[in-house]
This record gives sequence, structure tokens and C-alpha cells, in this order.
Amino acid sequence: MVGPLYDFVANPFGAVRLSFEQAVAASPADDPVAVFAGKDWGALDLFRDFLLEKGGLSQVPILDASSRQWIQPNSLVRFRGMVQDMLGKELYIGAFQDGSNWRTNKYSDGALFPMPAGCQSAYESNLWERLLLHCVPVPGHNSWATHSTPPQVFRNVMDNSMYEHGEKRQRDEGIVENNEHGGSPSSKKQKEGEHPCQLNHSSQRSLVQGGFSEPRNGAALSCVIKMYDTPECDLKLNDVFEFIAIYTFDPELVAYKEDADDLTDDLLDDPLMHLPPSKVPRLHCLICRKLAIQDFVSSPLSVELPNMIKGIRGSLLRHLTQVLGNDGLAAECLLLHLLSRLRARVDAVSVGKLSLNLTGFNGETASIFGNRITSAIQSLLPFSQYIPLTVDYLNTATLQPKKNNQTGRLIPGVLQLAQGTHLTIDESHLQPGNLDSNGVHNARLLKKLIEQLSVEYDFEFYTSEMTADVQLLILSDGKSNIMPADLVLPFCPNAVNSIANPSPEELQSWRWYLDTLRSLPYSSQPDLHQMLQDELVAAMREDRSLGCQQLNRWLTMARLISVSFGDGELSLEHWQMFKEIERLRKERIK
Amino acid sequence: MKTVNFAVDKDLAREFLQNFADAHGEPKYLNILQDVANRKYRAIQIELDDLFNYKDLDEEFLQRITENTRRYINIFAEAVDELMPEPTEVFSVDDDHDILMTQRAEERTEGTDSNDPHQGMPSEIKRFFEVYIKAFSKGTPLTLRQVKASNIGQLVKVSGIVTRCSDVKPLMQVAVYTCEECGFEIYQEVTARVFMPLLACPSVRCQTNKAKGNIILQLRASKFLKFQEAKIQELAEHVPKGHIPRSMAIHLRGELTRKVAPGDIVEISGIFLPIPYTGFRALRAGLVADTFLEAMSITHFKKKYEEYELKTDEQEEITRLAEDGDIYNKLARSLAPEIFGHEDVKKALLLLLVGAPHRKLSDGMKIRGDLHICLMGDPGVAKSQLLKHIINVAPRGVYTTGKGSSGVGLTAAVQRDPVTNEMVLEGGALVLADMGICAIDEFDKMDESDRTSIHEVMEQQTVSIAKAGITTSLNARTAILAAANPAWGRYDLRRTPAENINLPPALLSRFDLLWLILDRADMDSDLEMARHVVHVHQHLESPSLGFQTLEASVLRAYISTARRISPSVPRELEEYISTAYSSIRQDEAKSSAPHSYTTVRTLLSILRISIALARLRFSETVHQSDVDEALRLMQMSKFSLYSDDRQRSGLDAISDIYSILRDEAARTNRLDISYAHALNWISRKGYSEAQLKECLEEYAALNVWQIHPNTFDIRFIDA
Repeated sequence: MVGPLYDFVANPFGAVRLSFEQAVAASPADDPVAVFAGKDWGALDLFRDFLLEKGGLSQVPILDASSRQWIQPNSLVRFRGMVQDMLGKELYIGAFQDGSNWRTNKYSDGALFPMPAGCQSAYESNLWERLLLHCVPVPGHNSWATHSTPPQVFRNVMDNSMYEHGEKRQRDEGIVENNEHGGSPSSKKQKEGEHPCQLNHSSQRSLVQGGFSEPRNGAALSCVIKMYDTPECDLKLNDVFEFIAIYTFDPELVAYKEDADDLTDDLLDDPLMHLPPSKVPRLHCLICRKLAIQDFVSSPLSVELPNMIKGIRGSLLRHLTQVLGNDGLAAECLLLHLLSRLRARVDAVSVGKLSLNLTGFNGETASIFGNRITSAIQSLLPFSQYIPLTVDYLNTATLQPKKNNQTGRLIPGVLQLAQGTHLTIDESHLQPGNLDSNGVHNARLLKKLIEQLSVEYDFEFYTSEMTADVQLLILSDGKSNIMPADLVLPFCPNAVNSIANPSPEELQSWRWYLDTLRSLPYSSQPDLHQMLQDELVAAMREDRSLGCQQLNRWLTMARLISVSFGDGELSLEHWQMFKEIERLRKERIK
Repeated sequence: MKTVNFAVDKDLAREFLQNFADAHGEPKYLNILQDVANRKYRAIQIELDDLFNYKDLDEEFLQRITENTRRYINIFAEAVDELMPEPTEVFSVDDDHDILMTQRAEERTEGTDSNDPHQGMPSEIKRFFEVYIKAFSKGTPLTLRQVKASNIGQLVKVSGIVTRCSDVKPLMQVAVYTCEECGFEIYQEVTARVFMPLLACPSVRCQTNKAKGNIILQLRASKFLKFQEAKIQELAEHVPKGHIPRSMAIHLRGELTRKVAPGDIVEISGIFLPIPYTGFRALRAGLVADTFLEAMSITHFKKKYEEYELKTDEQEEITRLAEDGDIYNKLARSLAPEIFGHEDVKKALLLLLVGAPHRKLSDGMKIRGDLHICLMGDPGVAKSQLLKHIINVAPRGVYTTGKGSSGVGLTAAVQRDPVTNEMVLEGGALVLADMGICAIDEFDKMDESDRTSIHEVMEQQTVSIAKAGITTSLNARTAILAAANPAWGRYDLRRTPAENINLPPALLSRFDLLWLILDRADMDSDLEMARHVVHVHQHLESPSLGFQTLEASVLRAYISTARRISPSVPRELEEYISTAYSSIRQDEAKSSAPHSYTTVRTLLSILRISIALARLRFSETVHQSDVDEALRLMQMSKFSLYSDDRQRSGLDAISDIYSILRDEAARTNRLDISYAHALNWISRKGYSEAQLKECLEEYAALNVWQIHPNTFDIRFIDA
């Protein structure tokens, strides 16, 4: 091949089609198509080569509510989202024979060519499968983490591709007309309907947002992703993915689907009926990549010298102390809390979590410091959520994700969160009142979340536990009993000072610091073992109320102190530091 | 691809129906056909098991049936048409169907153009039976996510939980029209859910006359089929971690309708089929097909021990385990392995799972076999966790708290049905746990009304109701596992156990074993805990327990096998048990403690525990060792309550142990005591192994006895 015969971004089908035809021609079997059921015939290699090797990735626009207005259907897009629901398998006619040519329908909603009559009857052998996922923007996604590439560069790319689109479109039209021999009028209709369609989009968006998936930030756009050939075990609920996919949109199909369909039975309705393509675009995934937090944090530094980590730690601690009104101890604890991560589950114990309960938030401090803390966390972590807990909220909110068997959809609850989300629960507004059964249920869910870091999803006839690796910060007046946190610390601000706005570079380094050290691997040091054991036994003899939970917390905190210095293993020095913090904390509790 | 000759297969099907003989040599299918002809029932179920066992089995034929089942249902139906015998019984009343058929037969003879294809009666309309093909009963059903596109058209067996059911609706199978012009009946077979009605008479006469006869659909003459749709969802245990259960649409026809209700756990065999979209949808989105399972047979799952079916590998595992001598300890340790210690409590819980058989005496008196256990203890000693774990192991278990949330509570209630206004009985947790285990947390906080009725449940194992004109008694054959907190939240050592236990003695005496778990200060356990915590944090895994824990499924299989055995107590042991019982009574009479629990119920408890122990060994008879262990457990349970008394009595433990051993040696008139035996005896009196060792060393130094250096067996030195 000399140069690409097709534009990967604007006309990905060209590549799919061409590679399929080549593969069929090269295939020696009598039934050339059966070979390709459920596997790739080389199209993905083409795309991988283009996107990753040749740097085509930057040309691919990111699909969101605003870019959707100008992105052409049947072009390549990128989409980042959390797997919110899995809609199961869908069978489609993978390939059919048009005269002597084999055509494929992979990566498309409908046939690109009219299917000859009669092939329907013999389609059973060529039914292929694809997996449907419903993806939403990550709940609690903070605005700074939305675009990892600087927006300025991005605009240019978008403008460029916009321009290219104009050009390519003409070429596309030519191709379409050549191939279709004036066949179906759909393509023309589509072009005529383009403007009204766009208007529709914007007017419908409010509907979308109010309607089904409670998007939590402005540019929310959820998508139905059709996955091909990806092993199911790689896709988990609540994982965050980046999809590079073909965006399809067919106004005719939309018009049809939106008509009340009197033939569909109320029982066997398709979950997709509730996700009309005009509101929820369909994407046909070519390549997907699981994202971790570091994909949202740009790393500014290439070297990680211990001194530098210490420096960042110091500046971050100063910032947190400022935010917390000069309460140094609280700042230390908050730092440890922000570094905590679920390491493992051993029997009933979740190792590595450290939920923090700052007490002493009453009317005045709550309003000042509550906001400060939330905004500080928002600027540090990519995903964070703030829940003001009131009796009314507990009674009315749907925290638990619940399967609606009527529609076949998983209705998201507030607690359906991506791994690594930070959750601030503000109990300071809680007033005495009555909880109804829903409220009790919600309180139980929250308690379970903080104790075991897992959420029960309701599947109507049974519940199923999903792990939720979230960091929980509770702000309350007294010690919270709804959310019994690992670490309880009375909060003592001694000055309401103004916060110096951190520079972008500082913010960047802090974000990098938190993310990098959070994922720092632990290593064990056997010689400290004995010392720790003895210390714990001695402590237990002194204080009979110490339980397994407390001891777990001690070790977790000591570990986190080491981690905050960029050290994977616990040292004696850090253990002493922990003991000092614990002593100060105890004093405060008295 | 080989072309299949369906005519040949039809002959094969007919031969099979004619010739198949079941285990008794009866022509099974011919008998069924005769019954069907006599209108006893409508369903003809062809079992693949039978086809497989058929002597002239054609493997390929079987293969073809499983892969193209829908086609073969028709083939079998045609074969049945040919074989259908004349009814041997006379029907008193002809139903509509018969009247219509006679009428049609008459018309047929006078009909002029009988060669008109549209007037030919489709065989469907003549049939008054339905053919189903049932998948192999052996073999595990697929999970819903295992059903793939390649299974289209095949007979598959899946398991799931029914989430939704539609109403039963009529589905037209053959539409019948009459033509106004020519007066003939026109038949139209309907194969899909949607069909295009005929508009003009297609008969030859109307065609030739160019009459375009106006035809009218005759609903009464048409053939309808009962039709119901349902949806099943994957079972919780089949969903991989981090995934969402899949669901699948099920079509139920004819006799299979109204067999399922939402919430049922079922195993369905059926044909996996696609529904192509029709009309406009087919044009544009025709590429996508919805799928459904056309049900062929439905089996409900029952989660009882008695119906637990063992897989072959489980069978092997169990025999292997049974040969292992230490199975009792091994099983007990595998219960809630994450909870440290409490070995005797776990042993007791294992015996609760096993239970003893129910006895029904000739005079109609019933003696319960279920063991009841009550765990008392300080908050935070993992009582609830133990309870939940037991419920997970038990195939049928209900977990509830004393203050059961619904109005039905623990036992049962009479409620008014909001729709029909009838009074209906609704079973509570105890009734729901019939033939299983009911774990009641916060037993002490139970409602007064439930507490009175629980007396009956625990001994008679029924729940009697006399309310609102309904007098009945419901079975509640359940083992009760209760957990309760002490009266003042924490166990108060200054008060007597009776004061601490906030339950009436009448209720307490119904528990076979009562266990007090206290959170005591103890250097050993502190160290153990510290070591555990440090290990967990260093290695991110729990320290190895020094033994292999058994999977819950293996436990379940083992217990269900054990429950099939009902051991008997041999005559020579009766004396032993009665002596043991009377000695306990005497001990109690001697002691100053004001609390006496030993009653005839205790004797029954000893028997029950011994039998459960024998069951665990897969033995048909109870051994003396079983009784010894039963006595030990009872004693341990008592000492967990009263050990403080003993400590307060100020008796020297070492000399007491010595006297116990000496008395025992004297009783059996022997000079040797094995270590295990000695341990058993002293632990019955509430002493620890460490104390025994101390005693052994001390008295060995005094040359009272010799200790075997390896086995620690004791030999008295004859003075």
C-alpha cells in the first residue's frame, strides 16, 4: 500500500471495508466469512498503526456534548467514560453476500449497502456478537482533569479537523454516490436534516440531563459503546476507559425509534429503547484502553529525587495547614487520608483504607472550612464528590444502584463511583429527624461502604457486592455514628486566614505527588516485625479497648507516613512519627 | 454441507416412538400417546435421555435434534400424527374443537375442489397435543453469558432466576377465515408473533370467478395457543466479579405457561432463537436480532439437603475426606476460617448443620432432630459473623434479627390480602426456614409475642395460628441458631450467669448448647492478634492457618451426604449414656450453684449430638467416642458460662486434674491412659491443655506416673 487510501479519522469505514475485502480475498476457505466471526481480520492493526505509531491520535476529536455538534457521523472519535451499565450481548449479521462480494456490518449500526433480499433467511450462520456498554462521564470528574492536553492546542486540532471535514465530506459524498447507484436516499436526507438535528441536540440536552443518568457536570454525554472482540473479563463495571471508536448517527433510525412502537411488547422491550440514539450516541469501539488516575494527571517531572518529594510534601502540607486554619495535626491526617488506597482485602479486613472523620464542625466552622476543604480536594484529585448529609437527603436520595427489570437497565445511584474517587460527606447540617425505611437503608449502605468499601447493588431478587475503592472524609460536629470512620480527629482551627492561591505548577506537582505515592508499591521489612508485634501487645495490655480495627489503623497510618516520604517500607523513624501523631490525637480527644 | 433427509428422520422418529421401551419394558411413548388420545393430557415430552438410551441409537440423529430442535419438533409431531391411536375411552362431552373437526370432516367429503392448496387443512389445526423435546437431565446448565451466537437454533439448558412474567395471552397458531363468496374455510398458518391477515379469498373458485371474495376471520374456529413471556436473570453465583447479571427472554407456550413466577430459581431447557425485526426496522436495523429461548421444559430448583445432587468430583472428594480420620476437626475449622479461635463453638455449629434425624414414635409423638444453639457474648466478638457464615454454608438458611422487620415477624401472621380481601397466612422467618436453619440475631430483643410462640417452634417444630377464623399449624422443622447480648450490654462478671442471660429458663432449656463468648484479657490471644495484624499489613494476605480450609461447596456436599445417614444407638451404649446423665445430675445436686439446667432435655441433647457426630463419620451406629465428645461439648458449653465459679472456688487446678485422672484410671481399672483420653476428661471439667501438661510434669517428677516422651501417654506407677 502506498499511503493510506482512506482517511482514518473521517472515513474509518473505508479502512474497515477495504481490509475486510482484502482478507476475504486472501482467505482460502469455502466459506470465507465464517473464519472472521468473533475475531479481527487486520483492520485493528491498521488503526493501531495509524493512531499509535504514526501519532494520529491527536487528530481524533474527543466526543463530548459540545463537540458533538460538529463531529460528523461515521467518523472516528475518542470518548472517556466510566462503564455504568452492561447491556448484554447483541447479535448482528456480521457478513452477507451482495452478489459475489462479501460485505461486513462490523462497526456499524446498519448496513452500509442495502442488503439484498433473501440473505435474511440464510443469515443464521453469520450472526456475530457484540457487547453493549453504557458509559457515562466519570461521576465527580473535576474540571481541571477533563482535558489532559492543554486546551489551546486542542482548539487548533479541532479547527483543523473541522476544516478537513469539509473537504473530506465532499469526497465522501462522491464515494457514497458511486457505490450506491442512487440507492437509498438516506445519505441525502441526512445532510438535509443536519441543521434541524443540531437544534434538536441542544434542545434535548436538558431533557437528557434531567432524565436518566444524573450527569454531575455540565458537558455530560453518555454513550452506548459497542464492543467487538474484547474479552469480557477485561471490562468491569465502574472502570474508566478511553474508547477510540466510530461515531454513528442515523437520523432515519432515530425518527423511527422515537415513534411510539405499538408492536413492542411491554415485557420484552429493549433496554436500548430507553437510550434513543439522538440523546445517547452509539459508538463502535475499535480500540479501548483502561485509564488509571495517572492518565488524568500530567506528570511535570521526570526525576523523583527523595529531596524533591520531601519538598513537595512540605509545600502540600503547608497548603493543607493553611486551608485548615493552621491546624497542623489535621493537615497531617488529611494528607495521610488523601494518600490512602485499598491495598487488599484479607478476610473481613480491608487493608490500606483510612477514612477520616474531622469532628467539631458546627454552624460557623462548617460553612467556612467545609467549603475550603472541598475546594482544596477538588483541585487536588481528579474525581471527587461532596454529599451534604441531611435527614431529608437520606430519605429521598437513591444511593444504591438498582437494576430495573422493567427497562433492563441499571439505575445509577450516588454510590456508583469510579475506583479512586474521593467522597466528602458533610454531616454538619444533620438535624434530628425521622428516617423512613429508605433513609435507614441508605444509612446502612453508607455504613457498609465505610466499613468494607463495598456497595451492594440491588438486582431485585438478590444483591451483589461490588467493591468501591473510595476515600471517605466525614465532617461532623460530634463523632459520626452513621459513618464510623477509621480515624477520628477533633478539628481545632485557630485562625481564619486567607489562602494564598497556589500556582498552577504547584498544583500540578501536588497532584502528581498524591497520585504517584498513592500507587507506590509496599515492600515489607521483616526485622521491624518483631518490634511492631511487641509494641502492639504492650499497647493492648495498657488499653483493653484496643481492638483489631485500631491496630489495623495504626499500621496503616504508619505505612502512610512512610509513603508520604516516598518510602515503600516502614522504618522505625516513621513509626515514631506515627506514635507522636497518635499521642497528639489522643490528647485532643480528651 | 450434507443435506439432511427429513423424511428419513421422520421414519427414525416414528420408529423410536414405537419401539422405545423404558426400564420396565413398557412402550413408554405409545402409552403416552394413548393417554393423549384419551385426552388425559396434552403434552408429549420427548426426552433426549430416552433417545440416548434407545437401543438403535443413531448418534447423528441425536446430534441433529439438538442442533436443529425446532425443525425436529415438527418432525416428531408429524410422526405422532401417524401413530396417534384411536381413543379407548368415550368422552361424555364433545368440546368445540371436536364439533368443528367433525363438521370439517363432513364438509370435506362434499367439497368440490379438494386439491386447492389453501383449503388443505394444516395438520396443526387437527392436533390436540403439543410436542416438547427435553434436554439431557445430566450435565450442568449453561450460565446465561455462556449462551453464544453459535447456539442459535440449538437446544440449550440454562439456569436463572425469573424476574418478570407477562400475562398468559392467546397466540394465534392457525387463522381460519370463511369466504363470503364461496363459503369455504381458508386456513392460514401463523409461525411468527406478527402476521399479515389475508385480504382476499385465495381459493381456486374465487380466483377463477375473479370474485375477490370478502373473507372474515373466524376467531372461534382458529387455533390459539397459550403464550407467556418471561425474563430470567443470571444467578448471583454465576456473575463474575465486577459484572452485571445478564438476562434473557423466555417464551413459554401451551402447557408450560403459568409454571413460573417472579423470584423462582429455575432450570430451563429450550431452543435459542433469534427474532428478526419486521417491517421498517428490518430494513434499516435488520442487522440486529433479538433473541429468546423457546422453553421446552422447566425445572424448579429446590435448595434442600435432601435434594442436593452430587457431582462426580464432589463424590470423590467426599470419599477422600471421609477416609481422613480428622474430618471432624477439619470441617469445624473450615467454618468461618477468618474468625480466630473458638474451636469448640465451631464444632458445635458444624453439628448444628448436620443435625440428627427426626424420630416419629409409633404413638405419633415426634422427637426433633434439629440442634438448637445459642451464642451469648459481649458485643464485637464476631457472633453475627459466625451466624452469617453458617447461613451461607447451609443450603437453606434464613437470617433474621429478633426484631424482624416485617409485621409477619418470626413465626407467622394472618393478613388481609389487599386485592381480594381474603385472609391469608404469611409465614415468618421460622416457617420459611422449614427443613433448614434459621439464624436469629439479637435473640434477646425479640417481640414478646414471638417469644411465646418460639417455645412451640423449638420443641414441637410447628407454628400454630388461631386468628381471624384461621386455625392451622405450619411446619417449622428448623434448627435455630440464636445470638444474644448479655442483659446489660456487656457480660458483668460480678453477677451470676443467670442474671446476665436475659432469657427465661424455659427458653434456655430448649437450647441443646449454650455458649458464652467473652472478650477476656489474655496474653496469648493478644499476641496472636498482634501477629495477625502485622502479618496482614506486611504481606497483604492472611497468615496461613497451618491447614487447608475446605470450600463452602465441599462442606455443603459433605454435610448433605452426612444428613442422609440415620445412625442408631446400640444397646450397650444406652447404659453408658444413662450413667453419664445421672452423674451430671448428681454433680449438680452437690454443687452450690443455684442454676440447674440438666433435665430430660439434656439427655435428648446428648443423644442428638452423638448421632450428629456419628453422621459425620458416615457411621450407621453411634460409638462411645461420639458420646464422649458430646459430653465434652456440653460440659465445655457449661464451663464457658460457669468457669468463673470454679476459679472462685479456689481449688488447686493441678491437684484437681490429678484426682480426675486417678478416678478415671480407677474406674476403668487400668494403669494406662492415653493423652487424648486424658485431655478429653480434663477439658470436660473445664481445664486447659496447658494445665494438663503442667500437671503431668509435676506428678511425673513425684514419680506418680510415667509420661511417654513422644505421645505423652500416661502410665501410673503401681505402688
